[in-house]
Amino acid sequence: MTSPGLQEVLISLALVAIAIAVTRYWKLPVVKDMAVGSVRAFIQLIAVGYALHFIFDLENPWLIHLAIAIMVTVGAHASASRMNGLKGAFPLALVSIMIGSMTTLGSMLALQIINFEARYIIPLAGMIIGNSMNVSALAVDRLTSDIRGNRLAIETSLALGKSWRVAVLDFQKAAARAGMMSILNFMKTVGIVALPGAMTGMILGGAEPLDAVYLQLIVAYMLLAANAITSVVAVELTVWKFFTKNHQLKREV
Amino acid sequence: MTTESVVLRADRLTRTVETPSGRKSIVVNFSFEFQRGAIYSIIGPSGAGKSSLLRLFNRLDPLGEGEVFFNGNSTREIDPCKLRCCVGYLFQTAHLFPETIEDNIRYSSGKLSSEEIAELADAVEIKRDRLSESIKNLSVGEGQRVALARLLATRPAIALLDEPTSALDPGRTQAIERLVKKIVAERRLTAIVVSHDTHQARRLGGDILLMVDGRLVESGPPEQLLDNPATELGQKFLRGELR
Repeated sequence: MTSPGLQEVLISLALVAIAIAVTRYWKLPVVKDMAVGSVRAFIQLIAVGYALHFIFDLENPWLIHLAIAIMVTVGAHASASRMNGLKGAFPLALVSIMIGSMTTLGSMLALQIINFEARYIIPLAGMIIGNSMNVSALAVDRLTSDIRGNRLAIETSLALGKSWRVAVLDFQKAAARAGMMSILNFMKTVGIVALPGAMTGMILGGAEPLDAVYLQLIVAYMLLAANAITSVVAVELTVWKFFTKNHQLKREV
Repeated sequence: MTTESVVLRADRLTRTVETPSGRKSIVVNFSFEFQRGAIYSIIGPSGAGKSSLLRLFNRLDPLGEGEVFFNGNSTREIDPCKLRCCVGYLFQTAHLFPETIEDNIRYSSGKLSSEEIAELADAVEIKRDRLSESIKNLSVGEGQRVALARLLATRPAIALLDEPTSALDPGRTQAIERLVKKIVAERRLTAIVVSHDTHQARRLGGDILLMVDGRLVESGPPEQLLDNPATELGQKFLRGELR
């Protein structure tokens, strides 16, 4: 298979037509969403394609930083909207995603796993930030639900002279783990249940399978690090919001 | 009365909270001295600020204006975790941790010996051979007794009991009341019990404090406060006109 062009993309719209036909037959109320989603994906991805082409051509470090800053900001905004109505969710999401993704990307650059080139940095940053966005939302959502639903358990510990850290630690661990479940499950089944995206892309692009595997392993380890850091930071920042320095559980957060 | 006999002193305590309808004072200018080794009942209509007051005594909630002194020292100057070991709090509904009765008593203090745990079980009248039993098998009343043993494990000088019998039937209610009186007598502990039940306050026998709208309206022994209240609000409360 050669690299697909616009003609192949337009032909693949036949698949969208099949999907719409099936859902219409079953009278599923998703036909409009599918049509809008397909058009939207087309416009967004074509626009991103041109933008990446422009950035790769210029190879300007400031432009790379700007692209990452935009990705982190948009990711943080999306993550914050899924944080259970937590006050100050946006800065919390921004800091946790930034620390998780920048530490990972920075380490990869420092260890010379990748070069500081737009062609590497931007796609990998996109993968990391996209993952971190979900991780921070999942972890914070779990922790806020657990704390709000277990006030009596937490205050019982506090009333017995325990520090806020001891009182909330089990919930904190459970939330951090919840944030990382997706990547942990992915690593358990990778290559067995499905071939992951980066590897599939490389193989379809004509790369040797083993080269594709090496890249996929790097991506998996990179996401594992990013997820772990983001999850732990997001949970830590969240738990600080719920307690005063006098080991009191705040009423409204 | 000597100052040494005062274990807890509240001085013009006021707590204001934000509510959807604006700022509201839930405890207003509360001053009182609690004596060592005595029982106190705090009564009043719903929303009078009784539980909010208890939460200020061991700083489960932030102190607003005013001061609380424990053994003569401002509680603002005491580490909250240490304060709470000395000023224990029993919630209306006991939360027990997994798994066994012994685990719960030990939760307060990991340094307890098996004999000390057994003695605490004795104090709350739980048979020693039940210590390894799962908390899942306990009734509500037994759960409250385990929570009381857990509170006593930190050797507090004061036990704040927030409506400890509200979920119990009359028989079990009186068993807990008897237990509280026994523990106070044996350990020279001060018990401050929030209750909505004037009969319970009479049975407990110590001084009664009547709170209405966050304010201390009057205080005194049961025969004074319940039989011959000095204030109009006290009379209205006893006639059931305050809800």
